[in-house]
Amino acid sequence: MRAIWTIAKRDFRTLVTSPLFYFTLFICTSVWSFVFLRSIQEFSLRSSRAAAMGGQEMNIHFYVFGNHIGLINLLVIFCIPAITMRLISEEKKSGTFGLLLTSPITATDIALGKYLAGFMLALIYIFVGFLFPLGTLAFADFSLKLLLASMLGVVLMTGVYVALDLFASSMTQSQFLSIILCIVLNVSLWFFFQGGQSSSNEVLDAVLDHLQFAKHLGHFVYGSVSTSSIIFFLSVIFFFVFLTQRVVESARWR
Amino acid sequence: MIEVKNLTKLYGERVAINNLNFKVRKGEIVGFLGPNGAGKSTTMKIITGHMAPSQGQVLVDGFDVFEQPIEVKKRIGYLPENPPVYMDMFVKDYLTFVANLKGVNKKQIKELVEKAIEKTNLQDVSKRMIQNLSKGFRQRVGIAQALVSDPEILILDEPTVGLDPKQVAEIRKLIQSLKGQHTVVLSTHILPEVQATCERIIIINQGQIVAEDTLDSLTTRMQGSKRLHLRIRKVNGVIEKLNKMAGVTSVQVNGQFMDVDYDGEENTVENISKLIVNDDAGLLELRHENIGLEDIFIRLTSEGGLQ
Ligand SMILES: Nc1ncnc2c1ncn2[C@@H]1O[C@H](COP(=O)(O)OP(=O)(O)O)[C@@H](O)[C@H]1O
Ligand SMILES: [Mg+2]
Repeated sequence: MRAIWTIAKRDFRTLVTSPLFYFTLFICTSVWSFVFLRSIQEFSLRSSRAAAMGGQEMNIHFYVFGNHIGLINLLVIFCIPAITMRLISEEKKSGTFGLLLTSPITATDIALGKYLAGFMLALIYIFVGFLFPLGTLAFADFSLKLLLASMLGVVLMTGVYVALDLFASSMTQSQFLSIILCIVLNVSLWFFFQGGQSSSNEVLDAVLDHLQFAKHLGHFVYGSVSTSSIIFFLSVIFFFVFLTQRVVESARWR
Repeated sequence: MIEVKNLTKLYGERVAINNLNFKVRKGEIVGFLGPNGAGKSTTMKIITGHMAPSQGQVLVDGFDVFEQPIEVKKRIGYLPENPPVYMDMFVKDYLTFVANLKGVNKKQIKELVEKAIEKTNLQDVSKRMIQNLSKGFRQRVGIAQALVSDPEILILDEPTVGLDPKQVAEIRKLIQSLKGQHTVVLSTHILPEVQATCERIIIINQGQIVAEDTLDSLTTRMQGSKRLHLRIRKVNGVIEKLNKMAGVTSVQVNGQFMDVDYDGEENTVENISKLIVNDDAGLLELRHENIGLEDIFIRLTSEGGLQ
């Protein structure tokens, strides 16, 4: 436990002081604020028109925040690799990985410590991303509960990216290769499991349906925090952290 | 303390070390001497649990490195070939981090970090970032890192490589000062290093141990033969005769100069000088020269061992 925290703290400090982190966060903030302001404007225009015509009141959560959450997800797909690639591949290159391997700690400590560091950093992106909808609390009336549920969903989804990218970073020494591999994996994870697949096999369909990340995330965005979705995300995270642990352990045997 | 049994490591097809066997007793300072590529680093990586062997076993304090790695790693401080430092950390923070990794008792961390800094003379740079330090200082941070958990065993892979002479002297002094407190295994490809610091040497070449003895007895083992340094005006006439003479083991000629190795008997010296004078070859100089460890080392590693 102590070893996990020791590694997590050190890595987090390195990540949070790297120029790349600030650069990506700056890009994200720029894109988010630009798109968010535009959709807020459009929303207010359209909702006032709808009100004037005596129509139903429009829900800001679905019209504005839904898109924004999609955009958070999209940018995180590209930013997480930029951070996580440093977690293992850089250490292998500089030789500090040997220090971890020859310390009285387990491969599980190493994998979990590094995961925790990457996850804590990812939370910063998400927090900044959610500042935009939270900021509208001042002048718009909406359900905070829905927003918090969505946030939980995004946090879990991001946890999956971090785990996947950590695994990719453990397999290569080249940072460039690592970052490319991570982005490809993230994008395919997101788009491959978009749903719409159908085969003649019912069981396979059910399995594929359950593997739809977008569907699970969608549940959270619609405010339903289901145990099965939480378990789904956590088990995917567990799976990739476990794979990372295996790679770390096998580093000794080559 | 350390017991290496039938240790073999292959990198693919390439044999890096081949069936090594040796022991290191508690409190000893042992030098692991061999030319580049001999397999020193490979052996050390296996002892420290960085790498698994292809065959064989390593016991540290009775614990098998691959059965109970945690027990073994608790007892070892290791300086790899390149100091495993994080460039973006401050020296003191880095040492504290390593102490935490090594599982040092929380209450002792501060004290042990201070002690490691003191021992390696890092006081002046302890608040500097490692990337701004010179190679010599980074190497010292590497040694401090190995010392910080106050381990029973220190494994130092070429601790003075790449340092200037003054720094080398300092590090050697430091290693000598560890005598009695730690069991030390250090590797090197330069002889003066072991002469300066070690009590016992293991000489390794092409993955195999070619000699293993105390420094003193290795030197005396070679003392049987001695060397005469000669300068002669007409060299050619006497080479053949010297080579055939009883007691002479080898003759090397370089212009007017000649190095003659012989069995150490005074009679042989007398015969050599008689031969040259009688031949009227023009003896200009004759004196004894020491055969240093350097020559022993070269012989051991080039002829594939003595026995
Ligand atoms: N990772 C590796 N892959 C392949 N061969 C290696 C590797 N590391 C070392 N070797 C080879 O193994 C032999 C022993 O290397 P090493 O243990 O580093 O020797 P030393 O430390 O005595 O210089 C050398 O011939 C070296 O080329
Ligand atoms: Mg070496």
